[in-house]
Amino acid sequence: MTRRWAMIATLLGVLLFGWVFAANWFSPEERKAHWWLPDAGMRLGLDLRGGIHMVIAPDLAVATDHELAHLRTTLETRLADEKLATKSLAVAKGGIDLELADPAEAPALRELLAEDFDVLRGEEPAEGSFRLTLTPTWQREVQERAMLQALEVIRRRVDDPATGIQESVVTRQGNSRILVQIPGVSVVPDIFKQTGFLEFKIVREAEGTENAEQLLRARYPEGLPEGTEVQFEKDRKTGKVLSAYLVPDAPDITGDFLEDARVQFDSRRSEWQVAFTWNADGGRVFGELTGKNVGKPLAVILDGQVYSAPIVRDRISRQGVITGRFSSQEAADLAVILRAGALPIPIVLEEERTIGPALGADSISKGLRASLLAALMVVGFMLVYYRTSGAYAGIALVANLLLLMGLLSLFEGTLTLPGIAGLALTIGMSVDANVLIFERIREELRAGKAVRAAIATGFDKVFWTIVDANVTTLLTALVLYNYGTGPIKGFAVTLAVGLIVNVFCALVITRQLYALWPGDRPVKQLSI
Amino acid sequence: MFQLIPSDTHFDFLGKRRVAAAASLALILLGVAAIPIRGIRTGIDFAGGTEVQLAFPAGSGVDEARLREAVGATGLEGADVIRFGGGDSSEFLVRFAGEVPATAAAPVDLEKPQVQEDDGELTPEERQTRMAALENGLEERLGPLEVERVEFVGPRVGAELRRDGLLALVFSWAVILAYVGFRFSIRYGPGAVVALVHDVLVTTAVWILLGREFDLQVLAALLTIIGFSVNDTIVIFDRVRENLSLRTKRELEEVVNRSINETLSRTLLTSGTVFLSCLALVMLGGPVIRPFALAMTIGVLAGTYSTVYIAAPVMIWLEERFGGAVPASGPAAARNTKGPRPAKV
Repeated sequence: MTRRWAMIATLLGVLLFGWVFAANWFSPEERKAHWWLPDAGMRLGLDLRGGIHMVIAPDLAVATDHELAHLRTTLETRLADEKLATKSLAVAKGGIDLELADPAEAPALRELLAEDFDVLRGEEPAEGSFRLTLTPTWQREVQERAMLQALEVIRRRVDDPATGIQESVVTRQGNSRILVQIPGVSVVPDIFKQTGFLEFKIVREAEGTENAEQLLRARYPEGLPEGTEVQFEKDRKTGKVLSAYLVPDAPDITGDFLEDARVQFDSRRSEWQVAFTWNADGGRVFGELTGKNVGKPLAVILDGQVYSAPIVRDRISRQGVITGRFSSQEAADLAVILRAGALPIPIVLEEERTIGPALGADSISKGLRASLLAALMVVGFMLVYYRTSGAYAGIALVANLLLLMGLLSLFEGTLTLPGIAGLALTIGMSVDANVLIFERIREELRAGKAVRAAIATGFDKVFWTIVDANVTTLLTALVLYNYGTGPIKGFAVTLAVGLIVNVFCALVITRQLYALWPGDRPVKQLSI
Repeated sequence: MFQLIPSDTHFDFLGKRRVAAAASLALILLGVAAIPIRGIRTGIDFAGGTEVQLAFPAGSGVDEARLREAVGATGLEGADVIRFGGGDSSEFLVRFAGEVPATAAAPVDLEKPQVQEDDGELTPEERQTRMAALENGLEERLGPLEVERVEFVGPRVGAELRRDGLLALVFSWAVILAYVGFRFSIRYGPGAVVALVHDVLVTTAVWILLGREFDLQVLAALLTIIGFSVNDTIVIFDRVRENLSLRTKRELEEVVNRSINETLSRTLLTSGTVFLSCLALVMLGGPVIRPFALAMTIGVLAGTYSTVYIAAPVMIWLEERFGGAVPASGPAAARNTKGPRPAKV
């Protein structure tokens, strides 16, 4: 009686998984709408549905340089406090080079470094000259922080509703890389284009012609005043210089203080602009800045390029707008970038795979056709060779596929093209366990055992062989999963789940079929 | 009962082990010898570089030569142009080392420095601009086309994939060595693994002789072969263990030979069904998946052969040398015939 219940349970289980699998033919919306359809469903990998797979690496050396620059400034102040004069103090090649004016002051400097700069490690290549680098621990800490920031900024940009990319993935890959997967897109969206470093600077002098730079520099034959630089406003399409501005090299306020940014259309001037709001701190700084500089132009600089330089008419604290002859798309992207914050360091593309949607559809149909042919050939062979038992193997194979696809759907697994290849392979491998069982039963029959005894012994003796054989393949599938990326991972998953299901089908379902027929009947012959 | 393989064969497989080993070695050496001629071709996964798959509308009359010329005219030098999918398909692969060179960018981008100082590392934006320029350049010269796929692998990633791929192979062998050692005997493991190393080497040798390319797919095939090929070995080892516990006073070699014969139908049939699956993939799977399917097919053949001719002999050699089984005949025979502990728990 219990055997019958077990059989019914197996049948129901297979049908249930088959149903979960079949639900993939309904759209996600339909699946959500009907209670009798499962919500979960298989996902298609980027190689099948089309999309972009990118691996980007933030340039972590720049993070170190930023930290060094910051430390250099602090060090400069402290040296001044301690009245230690330096001949030179500069960031170079991943470290800070410092030379004391008086080498005799070296002990004092050493003391200062040990006390206040424990994140720096010092070497003294010569008397009175120091080479300071970050300690390994701090270096790791700095890079880790930069990595997390970059990841967060990219995630915010991709996930921003205005960008409109659904089901995209932004995850960390290994120590120093970020994996971005965007389905259904074949051009890298603009939001990856900009660093998004926004600065505001009060303009000292400006020239609005093509040779503006020469005009500006001509006013200072001795070189530009200390702490200033020339920045340009260019036509973003042609790259032609529209204006040049003499501005301080340090920003008066940066985008770090932004709270929000929105696109808006100025109907009076009929142009797209980005309206921003400062947070409380930013509002205070900005209010002070604009209050002191009424009547002067204020340059809005994004990633080193001047977008506009409106004249400050009044003290503004919380709100402002950025104009700059934007198209609606440019303005929308800029708002996304400003909302997400600036990337702390530049990014480099290390790997990109873009697949068009047509190619994916073609791959699916070819892969499925190959799997179907594999199934037909394998089942055909089993039927001819093992007759009724072969039919059992065929039933087990179908159950195997239903369970495998059902499981992948239930856990929202990703089907990739190599995954489909894994499916075809699973078909070939899944009957292997049956072959082992059948051959053993044949052997027992030849040795003169009765049908029932031969079946029982057959299953018994091959149990561990089947487990061993599948475990080894499973182990390599795990190695593959660990090694591979994207599509290859999909293959490893299909293979691994297929193997586990396979053992169940061969050992449980085929056996139950034998229990159904011949079962307890005293048959003389077994169709095998 | 329908049988392809008679149930009572008595082939002397082990007697031919030296011939078989020589044949395998010859094939592998042939592969090595072919390296200077054929070279080891690696796809962009391992070599780094950019690969673009283009489709022209049917009947556009574009062929490899015309495309190669047009690609050259956009300023892209040393690019490979291959017809994809064979025959008169209107799909092509354009492949080049490193990056789309800046010269390919027709509308000169004034904001960017024209000389790329580092080793082909670009921001996503720079890449996009250059890809678009290449696409426009080709479209101008050859008419409408569809960019179906673009893959770019940076030099650093390529080197890492290469290194990690080799590590994955070695790691798989180690895992199987440990598992077989654990389930059977420490002296059985090496036999299984030597056979797996053999399978990888033979598949690689054939791959080089065929002048085909190594990429991630082929590596995935090699790893799958490792996992699958050991199955037959386990079936035979299992039978050897069973026979050792039954038959006393037999030479190990005889027992193994008998075990191989007894399990021959299994070995051939299980490989046969997987072979059929691989064949279906080679025939219908489409050009993208074909390298994987082909490498799998070669591997399945190599794996079946090595189970019999490589794994078993190595196992016998280790057993006879380092104890456990019967050393030909001798006073220790009674103790030794027990063999390794049976698997059944």
